[in-house]
Amino acid sequence: MFKRFLTRGLRLAGIGSVAAALMTAAPVLAQDKEPIVFGGSIPLSGVFAFAGVHIHAGLTDYTNWINSQGGINGHPVRYVMEDTGYEVDRSVAAFKKITGSNRVPVYYGDSTGFMKTIASELNSRGTTLMSGASFATALTDNQTYPYQFIPGPNYTQMFGIILEYIAMQGQEGDKPTVAFVYSDTEFGKDPIENGKAKAAEMGIKVVEEIVTKPGSVDVSAEVLKLRRARPDYVVFHGYILSPINEFMVQMRQMGLDTQFMGTFWSSDKLIIDRMGADADGYMGVMPYNYYDSAEGGPMLEALRSQAQKSDPDAGYRPTAYMQGWFNAMVWTEVVKRTLDAGKELTGDNLAASLASIQDWDTGGIIGVPVTVRDMSFPVGRIWRVNAKEASYEPVSDWIHLN
Amino acid sequence: MRIGDAKQSYEADEAIWTSSTQKFWFAVFLLVLAVFPFVADAYLLYIGCLVGIAVISTTGLNILTGFTGLISLGQAGFMGVGGYTVAWFSLHTALPFPLTLLLAGLLTAAVGILVGLPSLRVKGLYLAIATLAASVFLHFIFAEWQAVTGGMGGLSLPPAHLFGLTFQSDFEMYFIIVPLAVVMVLAAKNVFRTRTGRAFIAIRDRDISAEILGINLLRYKLMSFALSSFYAGVAGGLFAYFYRVVTPESFPLSLSIFYLAAVIVGGMGNLLGGILGAAFMTLIPEMLNLLTATLTPFYPNAPVFMSPMLGIIFGALIVGFLIFEPNGLGEIWQRVRRFFRLWPFRN
Amino acid sequence: MDWLFFGEISLAGLAMGGLYGLIGLGFVIIYKATRVINFAIGEIMMFAAYLFLAFAGGMEMSPWVALPLAVLGGSVLGGVIEKVMIRPMLGESSISVVMVTIGLASILVGLVELGWGADPQLLPEFLPRKPVFLGELYLAPKIAYGFLIGATLLLVYLLYFRFSRGGVALRATASDQAAAYSMGINVRRVFNLAWVFGSLAASLAGVLVAATGGLSPQFGAVGLSVLVVVIVGGLDSILGALIAGLFIGWLETVAGAYLGGQYRMPATFAVLAVILVLRPYGLFGTHEIERV
Repeated sequence: MFKRFLTRGLRLAGIGSVAAALMTAAPVLAQDKEPIVFGGSIPLSGVFAFAGVHIHAGLTDYTNWINSQGGINGHPVRYVMEDTGYEVDRSVAAFKKITGSNRVPVYYGDSTGFMKTIASELNSRGTTLMSGASFATALTDNQTYPYQFIPGPNYTQMFGIILEYIAMQGQEGDKPTVAFVYSDTEFGKDPIENGKAKAAEMGIKVVEEIVTKPGSVDVSAEVLKLRRARPDYVVFHGYILSPINEFMVQMRQMGLDTQFMGTFWSSDKLIIDRMGADADGYMGVMPYNYYDSAEGGPMLEALRSQAQKSDPDAGYRPTAYMQGWFNAMVWTEVVKRTLDAGKELTGDNLAASLASIQDWDTGGIIGVPVTVRDMSFPVGRIWRVNAKEASYEPVSDWIHLN
Repeated sequence: MRIGDAKQSYEADEAIWTSSTQKFWFAVFLLVLAVFPFVADAYLLYIGCLVGIAVISTTGLNILTGFTGLISLGQAGFMGVGGYTVAWFSLHTALPFPLTLLLAGLLTAAVGILVGLPSLRVKGLYLAIATLAASVFLHFIFAEWQAVTGGMGGLSLPPAHLFGLTFQSDFEMYFIIVPLAVVMVLAAKNVFRTRTGRAFIAIRDRDISAEILGINLLRYKLMSFALSSFYAGVAGGLFAYFYRVVTPESFPLSLSIFYLAAVIVGGMGNLLGGILGAAFMTLIPEMLNLLTATLTPFYPNAPVFMSPMLGIIFGALIVGFLIFEPNGLGEIWQRVRRFFRLWPFRN
Repeated sequence: MDWLFFGEISLAGLAMGGLYGLIGLGFVIIYKATRVINFAIGEIMMFAAYLFLAFAGGMEMSPWVALPLAVLGGSVLGGVIEKVMIRPMLGESSISVVMVTIGLASILVGLVELGWGADPQLLPEFLPRKPVFLGELYLAPKIAYGFLIGATLLLVYLLYFRFSRGGVALRATASDQAAAYSMGINVRRVFNLAWVFGSLAASLAGVLVAATGGLSPQFGAVGLSVLVVVIVGGLDSILGALIAGLFIGWLETVAGAYLGGQYRMPATFAVLAVILVLRPYGLFGTHEIERV
């Protein structure tokens, strides 16, 4: 309906033919099979815009690339999105609008809040498989969210990978200690309880736990607490930038040699760009190879050349771009498997195809073959900031949780 | 006043519909509301439900702020109380939706009275700050009272049900939300034909004079708080049924400001204006999206610079209406009506 | 109980509280002269901090040039706001004026997003990084120096209001508008100046707070803490703003350290609620609130 409205409006303006050309601007090859629609509620504005614009770029570039490869089994792909401002009600509106005027087998959701909210609708429709920006642990519950998956490890699994890494650093019988620092949000609290349980199970002592507001806050008092607790590792979660920088700078000013680690959304170049030399040594868990990493692979090369082609001046592409691309890659794989099996593109069939993914070679996006478990890809690697090179370097092998 | 429309009694003067023309148009309006879900697509239906919820909440806030002159920054918190009440009762009991919504309204009204108690001591801006404090506490309770509210993760609830029927899709929810909105607005209209409603208005216009007229200020202020919170609670309960999930982040402070803006843009102390304001403010982001989509083919960067415009437009509307059109959309509506009534004799 | 720890926490809280006091001062100046409660004060702070970012980061000026420029920019903004939005509302109900400032806050957030995007930012470092020790007690250098700069401005303000002609005019207007007018004080100008001076204090505090905590379009939420400060201290009391600023900053930090970050806001708002019920005009405010 939205498209119809738009087209009509433009026709009225007397440029109907231009509009018609623009509506199908994607370089669709001369294919007459029905297009497969990738839908998306994309946060191009609002607090998550820093990632949203790159997610959008990743999805757009992937769509163009797959179409240049002949689409999915001859079906062209069409990417239809709306800006949401990272607000749940607008996200839902976008979903209704896009699914109302297209058949949408796969959809990008922009927040945990949205994905939880839309779940009941998704379950009753049974037409669409959804993934997105959220790595929330709750979404890997197959009973409540049978049509939603995580394009990587969920936050609990990220903590698991981080803890595995920390455990490996300890000497015999002398496990390092950790402190968890997280924001007072749904996002921030997500993995904490499970993370504590996991740490206890592994014999790693959680010596301090700090909750802060996200964003601009003074954390001097919290730093003082950490100074007393003297953890070997501080794990941040639920932040994008502040106050990670302030914790690191102040603790180093105190002469502590604590190591700092973070999860997906706080492990991008933003940290290096904004903190400069202070970011040195910061570690993040990342399921995808960084755009500028030394790794290779056919798909990673395809991604790089497509990124170059779409915007030659952009240079480095952030992890959000990789995330968008990888989402679309999984969708393609799932749709392809379903089509190959001669089945209809329903939620159940798509979810079954997803669950069938085993030892899947992602062509270098993820460095090892991946297997889907409970609607997630529980794999990742620890990377460390080299401030001089302004890049992340791998410091662990790929860790695939079971 | 129209020519040939002399009132013969107070009842006639207070009537909601003063002419058969009005009755006719109201019937047409109801008919449109009834037909709408059968012709609208999923997206419009969704927006229709959102507007319905916003109308209820805005009407509630209008009773407090527009008619009684007590400003509240706690509307989102009150809606949260309603939402969590409905969620809790749906999860732990088998009560049908009219009862859970009623309970949501009553419990929220009780919370409203509690928050309104400082109005015994303070008024005006201080009261606004008291309601702000209330919303901070409520948010804290939503986030921390794990056993009842599910903490930060919130609660997911089953669909609304009545006599074995469940109301799940937007189409089904529409038939709960919109009739309820109509009834509650009419109820509010009726309140202002009674002593209670007139007492509210008297307090707003001059509280000291009102007291001399024999109006018990504390009682009526608290009553206004209770009534307004009741509306907020029902709106919050509908919100819970509509989205089927409530989290502390569903009811941010910005939502309170959204409803205040709807009241201002619509027209303080004007129920019709409140409806227009609620609809208008709900539709703004959608209209802006449409504009962005129209521009994007020509300016690929359109979303990046259009989205901050939402905040700017939002603020500019509040400021602009307060400075240039303090009586809001309701007043504009009256002007349009007057124009057509007198057209073509006067222009 | 670890007294050293308590001492260090308290010190950090008081240093932050000093900045709250400075913002509270900006708030009180505006309120005293024009009776406007400015809900947009957090956004004015944010705007100045972004200006600093533009001057020191984007244009690569020395921070010590950028700081005065940014503060100046924030003050000019205050003056413009008064002329364009507040003056037309003269004589309207105080609720309407408050709503104008809420609308203004939304506009400023939009403008900042338009100009700088929604990404989180860090200000270029301009304060020394060497840790500060007061005896045994450690104090983070940023908040220590931030406090010093803020306190200097505070002192200048207090002296200015006490002794200068403009300061006397401001106080005269605050205590009796009509009398001030008849004595030849240009009350309109005083209104405008109050907004300029108030915004100046807020702008400086904005840059200092952003320097310690980072900057994003959500920065304005700091304004909520300041609201608590001025209500507790008394809306029209400069002394009240300073004392309440220190107290609220201290309480927030101590509650955060001992109970957890989620208790910061509820702790200060609990104080606010008690004050509202027992002493609505604040600890030091003029007892003139109408109670009905």
